[in-house]
Amino acid sequence: MTRLLTLAEYGAGASIALATAIPIHALVHPGWDLVLAMLLGSAIGMALHMLLGFPLGALIGMFQVMLPGSLIGMYGGMLFAMRDAMQPASWTQTTVVAIVFGVLVVAGVQLYDRALRTDAGGAGS
Amino acid sequence: MAESARFKWDRASRGYDFATRSDAWRYGVAKRRLFTTMRGRCLMLAAGTGHDFRFFPPDLRITAIDISGGMLAQATRPAGNHRGRLDLAQMDAQSLAFVDARFDTIASVCTFCSVPDPVRGLRELRRVLAPGGRLLAFEHVRSRLGPIAVMQDLMTPLSRRVGPDLNRDTLGNLARAGFRVLREENVYLDVVKAIEAIPD
Repeated sequence: MTRLLTLAEYGAGASIALATAIPIHALVHPGWDLVLAMLLGSAIGMALHMLLGFPLGALIGMFQVMLPGSLIGMYGGMLFAMRDAMQPASWTQTTVVAIVFGVLVVAGVQLYDRALRTDAGGAGS
Repeated sequence: MAESARFKWDRASRGYDFATRSDAWRYGVAKRRLFTTMRGRCLMLAAGTGHDFRFFPPDLRITAIDISGGMLAQATRPAGNHRGRLDLAQMDAQSLAFVDARFDTIASVCTFCSVPDPVRGLRELRRVLAPGGRLLAFEHVRSRLGPIAVMQDLMTPLSRRVGPDLNRDTLGNLARAGFRVLREENVYLDVVKAIEAIPD
């Protein structure tokens, strides 16, 4: 079950990244103001991660989906929008990069979790 | 304030088990380990729908409270399954209807993310906890890692409308309410924690 949930976290991360990257790619085109594009990307990512995160979180684990999902949504949204404002990108590139980004963020969060998951000791340390 | 909290959790009680079903698989082992040391007269805060009763050791006499009647209505069956005595009562954690030093152990699961005034609630716990008693708290808190903490801060205005705050400094609140943390275990990142505390 633990392994299945871990895999599901990667799936959720990739899904949130994809759901963020696709509308941004449809909206943002080369020549857009970079700052506006990044703000829009970040807002889209935050909104979509909330929409997807709740049902996925109920199935997989609320914090395990929402925390990496929020990083993917906010920072991924910014990066995807920056890329789309600066260069023409194909749908294939958009999809592959989004999945890679989602998986990498989840892997980073899982590694950090493993490093922290110890008895932290006493006295409000 | 208590009235709005009651209304919020009554409304949340309808989908609560669905929203937290995977958390029961995730955290069951950590909760059982935390509650192993329960002894004597026990109080459980924020009983919810009672899905955490199964992690309590058997043969204990437990009073479980919740602010929401909707939650308690669903907790009746799990309470009946407890191998010991488990009484349910509707009560606000910020003003407990118990005499001083009434309990030897207080257990809480994801409570102080929701109590409107957490320090006042924790002071109430300190009041009803007997000398030598322990608070066993399974709580989610604000991360100390900047990017995660920022996201928790950003999500809290929304999460607060339907459920808990995501950015509470529960360890700081424990100290402010006069508790000393004996043990603190990171269950997920530094966000979900098992905490054992005593009156300072």
